[in-house]
Amino acid sequence: MASLIFVLVGLFVCVKGYLLGFGTYHTPGPGFIFIVGGSLLSILSLIDLIITSGRKNDSKKTIWLGLKWQKVILVLIALSAYAFFFERIGFLTSTFLLIVILFEAIESTRWWIAVLGGLVSTLMAHIIFNVWLKVPFPSGVLGF
Amino acid sequence: MDLLNQVLLGFSIVLSPINLLYCFAGVVIGTLIGVLPGIGPSATLSLLLPFTLKASPVASLIMLAGIYYGAQYGGSTTSILVNIPGEAASVVTCLDGYQMARKGRAGAALGMSAFGSFIGGTLSVVGLMLFTPVLASLAFKFGPPELFCSMCCGLTMVAYLTSGSLLRALMMASLGVILGCFGQDPETGTPRFAFGVPDLMDGIGLVPFVMGLFGISEVLSNIEKSISEKEIFETKVKGLLPNLQDWKNSIKPIFRGSFLGFFAGIIPGGGPTISSFISYAVEKKFSKHPEKFGTGAIEGVAGPETANNAATGGSFIPLFALGIPPNVPMALLLGSLIMHGVIPGPLFMQKNPDIYWGVITSMYVGNVMLLILNLPLIAIWVQLLKVPYKILFPLILLLCCIGAYTVNNSTFDLYVMLLFGVAGYLMRKYDFQGAPLILGYILGPMLEISLRQSLLISHGKFSIFVTSPIACGAIIFALFVIISALFPVFKKRREAITKEDDEI
Repeated sequence: MASLIFVLVGLFVCVKGYLLGFGTYHTPGPGFIFIVGGSLLSILSLIDLIITSGRKNDSKKTIWLGLKWQKVILVLIALSAYAFFFERIGFLTSTFLLIVILFEAIESTRWWIAVLGGLVSTLMAHIIFNVWLKVPFPSGVLGF
Repeated sequence: MDLLNQVLLGFSIVLSPINLLYCFAGVVIGTLIGVLPGIGPSATLSLLLPFTLKASPVASLIMLAGIYYGAQYGGSTTSILVNIPGEAASVVTCLDGYQMARKGRAGAALGMSAFGSFIGGTLSVVGLMLFTPVLASLAFKFGPPELFCSMCCGLTMVAYLTSGSLLRALMMASLGVILGCFGQDPETGTPRFAFGVPDLMDGIGLVPFVMGLFGISEVLSNIEKSISEKEIFETKVKGLLPNLQDWKNSIKPIFRGSFLGFFAGIIPGGGPTISSFISYAVEKKFSKHPEKFGTGAIEGVAGPETANNAATGGSFIPLFALGIPPNVPMALLLGSLIMHGVIPGPLFMQKNPDIYWGVITSMYVGNVMLLILNLPLIAIWVQLLKVPYKILFPLILLLCCIGAYTVNNSTFDLYVMLLFGVAGYLMRKYDFQGAPLILGYILGPMLEISLRQSLLISHGKFSIFVTSPIACGAIIFALFVIISALFPVFKKRREAITKEDDEI
């Protein structure tokens, strides 16, 4: 299944490369490398697809078995929200909230430890990156 | 005399307070991530890449190099005391190192590991100093077709020496080349695969790409497993200076390990992990008592630990002389140089003697620092193992976010990092390797330029890739490597070599 995605990606790259311009063999155009790379990716993925589809595969079922993949989803949601709110509510607030959520999401901790961890981490990040390295972080609608 | 002057130039650079500080920071961070299982040098290098942008190229390279070779020192500590390898390169050290610790000889194992690392690391720097100019002078014979074929050969070797399916590794290398070529066309300036997004006009940024692929995905892969408290082997670490018999047993493995490791480091796809496995196999073969291996033979610690450190020095040769990184950490170092506007290659030594000699001499200084850090301070490093992951992982994720943002002060890079974080996580799940992807990404733009230049020179004839002996040799070798993997004998050998290597 994964290889099928790569076959399609390769074909998409080929089409986009063709639209960009193949050029000639003498003077290759902007899409030349993409047609070469996309074709190679499609062919290799197709071979892999044929090989793996002919094989009995039980690993598909066990890939997610016994794993706490829900934690991964939670962390990804937290990180996506962080990227979304980063400029809107500012670096300090969003970072504090991110750390608190991550402390809880990765392994449930007492709320005051998560809050304390969030405060210390945000303060350290502020001192190192904002004050010392002078990284211009957004202050957001709250003004800090 | 000329060499002496250049070495002195290097020392004058590295001994400046700021560069010494960067070197120290590098080796400390390197040892730290070496000690902590679950975080590899590739993830750390990608994590710290954006924070070195404000430093001079030589200072940032000194620090990044320090992390790379420092990690090899630190990795042995956990292998010996906890039976958990801090790095893939220290997996083999568990076999005899942990058994020595159980017999009350943890001190000797740690001591020999540190001394072997020091000797291997130092000898490889000497080799690096002597071999790079030779290879660089040969590299003058490299035109676009030779460069193109060498890069193809390098990518094939990396794919071959990566664990898992060779076919999938080649797929990832192709995908890496495609992703690396996103952005403006080098000749016409036509935007390619920008999808109307201004942030994609210059292509996918290196920092969010590698941070996602290595940093985020590594944390995601770790948090889904049950986090258990690590059990540290409770033993008093004493007698860090090995006795005379230990030295007698170890001296030959150390020199063999230095030699093997150095040359394994030069080979594309090689590096510390593979060199440590080769060294262990060689020592077992050379030993008069091979049956003692696995029960606490000091040769089984001295050889591999020396080899994995020697490999770090060897890895710099193709990077400095040809501009072709042989493994992922070197690709990240190349990325750092490119971000500073420095392009390695045959003229690198002449154009940037300060960087070249500064980095080389920093390795001498760094190795001395590491010896001091790893022997008397061993107790502190062991205590670090007690830092819980529930604290460590949120901080790594925060560092990734800040690092990705600071390069262009753009939240778009945060989304790119997340996208590749998810991609990297799924790739690990479905056995698609990250190493060829990142190497393809880094080499992609150079591959494209050399391919187009070659075709321009030859008026569109592909025969240019077989008429040059160097280009033809590289292509034949790459084809041989691919075809050999089809035969059961070579297939088994490849599987044996790459068994534990998932991080090159």
